[in-house]
Amino acid sequence: MTVSIELVPGRCEGHAVCEAIAPEVFQVDDDGIVQLVPGGDHGAETALAAVRSCPVAALRATP
Amino acid sequence: MKRIVVVGGSIAAVTAASWLRVRGFDGTVTLLSAETEAPYTRVPLSKTVLSGLAKDASTALPPLDDSVVLRLGTRAASLDTRARHVILESGEPVPYDGLVIATGGRARRLSPPGMSGERVLRTLADCAALREDLTHARNVLVVGAGLLGMEIASTCRTLGLEVTVIDRDPPLRRVLGPVLAEVITTAAREHGVMLRTAPGGVRLVGSHRPEGVEADGELLTADVIVSAVGDVPAVDWLTGSGLTLDCGVVTDSCGRVADHIVAAGDVAVVRGTRRRPHWTNAVEQARVAAAALLGEEVAGSGFPSYFWTSQFGVDVKIAGEPAGLGEPDLVDVDGGSMLLRWSAGAAATVNHTMPVRKIRQLASAS
Repeated sequence: MTVSIELVPGRCEGHAVCEAIAPEVFQVDDDGIVQLVPGGDHGAETALAAVRSCPVAALRATP
Repeated sequence: MKRIVVVGGSIAAVTAASWLRVRGFDGTVTLLSAETEAPYTRVPLSKTVLSGLAKDASTALPPLDDSVVLRLGTRAASLDTRARHVILESGEPVPYDGLVIATGGRARRLSPPGMSGERVLRTLADCAALREDLTHARNVLVVGAGLLGMEIASTCRTLGLEVTVIDRDPPLRRVLGPVLAEVITTAAREHGVMLRTAPGGVRLVGSHRPEGVEADGELLTADVIVSAVGDVPAVDWLTGSGLTLDCGVVTDSCGRVADHIVAAGDVAVVRGTRRRPHWTNAVEQARVAAAALLGEEVAGSGFPSYFWTSQFGVDVKIAGEPAGLGEPDLVDVDGGSMLLRWSAGAAATVNHTMPVRKIRQLASAS
């Protein structure tokens, strides 16, 4: 499955729920905002579970 | 195991369904959600959605994959564990081989029998109704000074309304402990909120609808009265099922309830502990429970639980449960920001940028 994950601008509050699920794809930086880890497997079921876990719906996966 | 039914439609249900696929389950997954909206996050409801700054649609969670059957507006009425059926309100039996109970909670209400129209804030529909009321109001009375009540108060102030919050206990003390509670209480007062404590408790009064609140013999009125007095686990449909209910569906540390049945989220309580109705907990429990349902032996993250609040310009992020731990033994104050640590196993930041991973590590590194 090929998907691309994107951040909805201005929404991330740094709660790091996605990072706890898929640290190979999401990492919260020292500014408290999530960054996509380059080379992480965005299509993995785990990454999609993480996308759905955001409490402020700041992540989107588009095919 | 060929058919797994997840009862619920919020984050615990969504995470459980996602995680069953992550762990390789390729049978049928069916979500039965009593709500008519597709799964959404309740987190912004008391803040940007109530104020009107964010649209209802912005709360939608990314959709589940097409292989998951999502049945909205489908309320479970009872459970037959012997036949392995969830019985819907319509009478339809939904058979399962594995069951995830994730029905969450519902707002606790104060109104006596015969009174209707009590405003609460739990669902999108509650939020829309309250928002509509606020557009015609000059003043608001919030009953309940917990996280939700205080967030509602904060939002109402940004809308320019006069706000009073009343509770039996001082604001936020029970959930945050004295130090953090004081930080937010001070901010609330500076933002012009009237905070009242009624040790004798409060009572909604009104002939058909709530018209006022009686507190220690005094009658308080407002254009809008909203109750934010906690949630109760949605276990009504499990009465008579034979499952152990004690302030929630009782689970073991892996979310297991009975053979082929697990539970997660606000509806669940781990045996010997208190219910933790927070987002992060719902996500973590759902992952563990989904794996356990598939026969895996898994433990949780081991990190202290994490929750947060944002109100009156104060952002607080908390790992662990500082409420019972008294004074923090480390307080690092830098201008308006704070870092707090309790060696008994909690840490918190106030308007302080630090990755949550580090806050949780700090809380557990005692």
